[in-house]
Amino acid sequence: MTNSIAELEEADVLLITGSNTTTTHPQIGRNILKAVDHGAKLLVIDPRRTDIARQAHIHLALRPGTDIALINAMMRIILDENLADDLFISMRTENFIQLRDFLHRLDLKELAKITEIDLETIRKAACIYARSSKSVICYCLGVTQHTCGTDNVQAVANLAMLTGNVEKKHSGVDPLRGQNNVQGACDMAALPAVLPGYQSLEDPTVRARFQSVWQRELPRKTGRSLTEMTHAGKDGPIKAMFIMGENPALSDPHLNRVEETLINLDFLAVSDIFLTETAQFANVVFPAASFAEKGGTITNSERRVQLCRRAIPPIHNCRPDSEIIMELGHRMGCPGMDFNSDAEIMEEISLLAPIYGGMHYDRLAENHGLQWPCPDRHHPGTEFLHKYYFARGKGQFTITRHQEPSEKATKKFPFTLVTGRGSYHHYHTATMTRNSIRLVREYPQAKLEIHKDDCEKLNIGDGEMVELHSKRGTVQICAQVTDRVKPGTVFSSFHFFEVPINQLTVDVMDPKSKCPEFKVCAVAIKKVHHD
Amino acid sequence: MNRSFIPAQTVIREIIPENDQISTFRIEIIDKTILFTFLPGQFLMISVPHCGEAAISISSSPDALPLIDLSIRRAGKLTTAIHAMKKGAQLGIRGPFGTAFPVETFAARNLLFVAGGIGLAPLKSVIDHCLFQNGVEEDAVLSISLLYGSRSPSDIAFQRVINEWQEQGIDVHLTVDEKDEHWNGAVGRVTELLDDTRTANNTTALVCGPPVMIRSVIDRLKALGCEDTDIFITLERHMKCGMGLCGHCHLDSKLICTDGPVFSVSALTTMDVMELC
Amino acid sequence: MIDLKELILPKDNLIPLLRKLNKDARLVIPVKNDHGDTLFTEISDLDTTEIDLINQPQASLKPFFLPQQETLAHYSINSNQYCFTAPDAAIDTIFFGVRSCDLTALLYMDLIFSKPSKDATYYDRRNHSLIITLGCNNPFENCFCEATNSGPYLEYGYGLQFIDLGDRYYVSAGRGRGADLLERWSYFFHEVGEEDHKVRYQLFLEARGQFSRNIQLTHACQKLQKETVPDEIWQSLAERCYDCGGCAYVCPTCTCFSVDDKPQSSNTGIRVRSWDACTSDGFTRMAGGHNPVTRDRQALKRRFLHKLKYDFASHGKASCTGCGRCVDICFGGVDITTFIELFTRQQNP
Repeated sequence: MTNSIAELEEADVLLITGSNTTTTHPQIGRNILKAVDHGAKLLVIDPRRTDIARQAHIHLALRPGTDIALINAMMRIILDENLADDLFISMRTENFIQLRDFLHRLDLKELAKITEIDLETIRKAACIYARSSKSVICYCLGVTQHTCGTDNVQAVANLAMLTGNVEKKHSGVDPLRGQNNVQGACDMAALPAVLPGYQSLEDPTVRARFQSVWQRELPRKTGRSLTEMTHAGKDGPIKAMFIMGENPALSDPHLNRVEETLINLDFLAVSDIFLTETAQFANVVFPAASFAEKGGTITNSERRVQLCRRAIPPIHNCRPDSEIIMELGHRMGCPGMDFNSDAEIMEEISLLAPIYGGMHYDRLAENHGLQWPCPDRHHPGTEFLHKYYFARGKGQFTITRHQEPSEKATKKFPFTLVTGRGSYHHYHTATMTRNSIRLVREYPQAKLEIHKDDCEKLNIGDGEMVELHSKRGTVQICAQVTDRVKPGTVFSSFHFFEVPINQLTVDVMDPKSKCPEFKVCAVAIKKVHHD
Repeated sequence: MNRSFIPAQTVIREIIPENDQISTFRIEIIDKTILFTFLPGQFLMISVPHCGEAAISISSSPDALPLIDLSIRRAGKLTTAIHAMKKGAQLGIRGPFGTAFPVETFAARNLLFVAGGIGLAPLKSVIDHCLFQNGVEEDAVLSISLLYGSRSPSDIAFQRVINEWQEQGIDVHLTVDEKDEHWNGAVGRVTELLDDTRTANNTTALVCGPPVMIRSVIDRLKALGCEDTDIFITLERHMKCGMGLCGHCHLDSKLICTDGPVFSVSALTTMDVMELC
Repeated sequence: MIDLKELILPKDNLIPLLRKLNKDARLVIPVKNDHGDTLFTEISDLDTTEIDLINQPQASLKPFFLPQQETLAHYSINSNQYCFTAPDAAIDTIFFGVRSCDLTALLYMDLIFSKPSKDATYYDRRNHSLIITLGCNNPFENCFCEATNSGPYLEYGYGLQFIDLGDRYYVSAGRGRGADLLERWSYFFHEVGEEDHKVRYQLFLEARGQFSRNIQLTHACQKLQKETVPDEIWQSLAERCYDCGGCAYVCPTCTCFSVDDKPQSSNTGIRVRSWDACTSDGFTRMAGGHNPVTRDRQALKRRFLHKLKYDFASHGKASCTGCGRCVDICFGGVDITTFIELFTRQQNP
């Protein structure tokens, strides 16, 4: 997030795209609703009528995978209405002329047709967003999990820059991070191309510094992305894996391929708090301590590094992840794996990652942590990013063109399946949440949201089992008659191992981010007859 | 010590299949020193190992004690576990809980029972009790009729008992939603079996079944001239304690476990009965 | 002979008094922990604990009487024997620094757990407890106990009530054991003077003037007895209810619970009672899947009607004590005050 969460409350316009915020990020949803109560306008872009879409002043229910067309249309309208922030554009951005010329060549009616949204509605939304100088955009996986995910994000950034809604308090572009510490994991370089603090693996100065601290030669080549690893198949280049707190055997697309990869590894070790579907493939399983049984820090969406204290000692033989890694490192002859405390680990992070430079445990203990960048002990942390300049200097407009999703509904597979988080009650592959009696009671099984008109056509009643087919697989799932989705679109979550919805999804990825297209695939629905 | 949450041990003496989905479990309390009595219409909280508890109405008459019948339909995890149990296995029980049918007011009245599916279970307790009472002249009822609806002929439960009742002079009318080739009886909803003759003066009606059925039967009975005070229904709800504490079985200002499960319709009309349907 | 009903305790004597009380009973006092949270905590060492009598405890007393999870029974299944045994008994506990709203809530729980017969686990704990309250001189941000008639000071229900007069406490004895305690430890106290009376009264008036919110609770209760709440209000509230159950969990008068079996091995287990929330969809769903209450439209209906309509009708008092905790916790901003404001504002058509 370029903003802080608390800032959202003061915004005048909130454009939420590809995020059912009240369900998936309740704490952030709370700030959004408060802003609405204070009179802010809420615009929601989502193919589904989600809980937050119900609260919206304008709900832009686009056809799945047409985000770029919609944003381009909004930008064109903003130009036509003379609502662009010319001063901001000339001072802080480059490449505007190309974008402008590109937008002027677009046909608005055509774009509206692509998105299946009424042009007047788009016009209204564009004007509301552009007229305010306190407009915030929040986006989540509904934007990124497409083959054109990177372009979608670029389009969103173009929109924000066009109206000058970045670089200041109460306006900006905020990706909402999913898992509670996914931001921290990225910060610590659980990414193929960077070292902790997003420092390039190829930068010789950086390399030298890390090598002197770690006493090891670092690999020179960029590593592989997650799906490249888990979808390598039988003869993939990776022969052994250590998977921590991740469940690709349920969460990744095209699951049969994942299973093939995992089975054919020479060695698989998994560390998790429960015996997940992935752990069941492992040669060795490390029982990990849960959040309550260990200390450490968690970095949230607003880059806030928060200190967590141990509430109870680890149960039975469980150990904190850090101990498991240290012990492994130690046995493998790696020097320096002898930290005596979490604070000592943090000291090394501060030493090596400049954005964490001032994040010492004694400082984090005060207040509610610090937001990076925080380069030194006296730095107060950074509330919002890009205050005077973008990370790369001037903000670059990049032309983004609409492209159809990798798979389109056909006669044989007439429905578009969207996947995502199904409810407030289950999280990801539900490895944790399905251990709670109450959460299971509230959301006992996977559901397929189908529009009531489609149900009528297919003679499907609420709660009946249906068979869902794609080119890649078949699952059986319980139908939920609803008006949350539009006719022709269906939605399901991926929480339940009994309904591995990702056996259906495509494994086509965004060429730049390697993020798979979880959000669109073509399916057919058949009623299951019990005899 | 919290005795109120400690179940008594019982043993299954007999299992009588009633149809594909419903079986009657005849149980007996092991500890003979425990005083146990109940009235028709009351229910028990049944414990099943590792499954917790569920509210189940008693389908036998108090006159059959020390044996207690529980007629149970396979619906969720707990009832499925009971159906997997064998004769001699043990169940825990707490209770009896809830209000009963006012059997003491039934003497010299015509009783009309209207039931759908498993809804016959609590009414069976009353019918058996009335048949027993008929031996005593001053307690005897004038007549008993039963209208019983099932989904299909193979879904008709309690067939054996129904035959016995007919032999003892009860006027039984069955109906099914969907007939098969062997079915010669009525087809349609149980409401359609109601007419003037069965709802003559001096009639008390007792109704149990799915919520939608209860609603339409009440409407029909009222249209035929039955007084609200002469119609009794028994309701089913998800329950956790049976004692008016856990809050799960709320219906407007009432709790089904302590204010019910048996209600006279006159008590219901003062409530927001929208939840009934 | 001094009047034992009301006495003055110099603040210097507080810790010595608590130390004496701690000899015969467990002591539970609001404590500020390392994380900055103020919670009722069992005291192990009075000298090293940071007692916090300034901030509102984040949780009420409820967890001590109706724990978030408690074992109701142990069960075992051995060679066809399926039997239950009861859990351990409660121990004597003195609660100090309890706010007026939280004691009022406890008195309501006494009522709930006494019907139809007394809940043994609850009353075991209750009979082993003595409550010492602390009147609120500075109501907190979201408090509205004035509107619910449960504060800032109390007139009954407490064992002892402490009012902070600056360098001393004005102590009133209520129920039996409170007076016994004053008598037993009378040498820590001295008599009430004219000045003490005046200061106490002045502080009370000032406290009443400090409430920032004006909640028309009684008006809402009375209106509910006569009028039906329009469906649109329920619907608009339901749409913003996340089903987190937070309001019910922090509420000192929400006593709905669930009972579940938790297997501990293949042939043993515990039967556990845990908090539940009527706002949840699964709360009323039956085994076959039928649900008499539709969450989509009525998520909060039961909760608000129970507190404001039914309890007002049967006890003459709403079962909301104005502690304001649900206001703090609600993600969707649809707490009880939102409902009261929506409903009282709404005109009869």
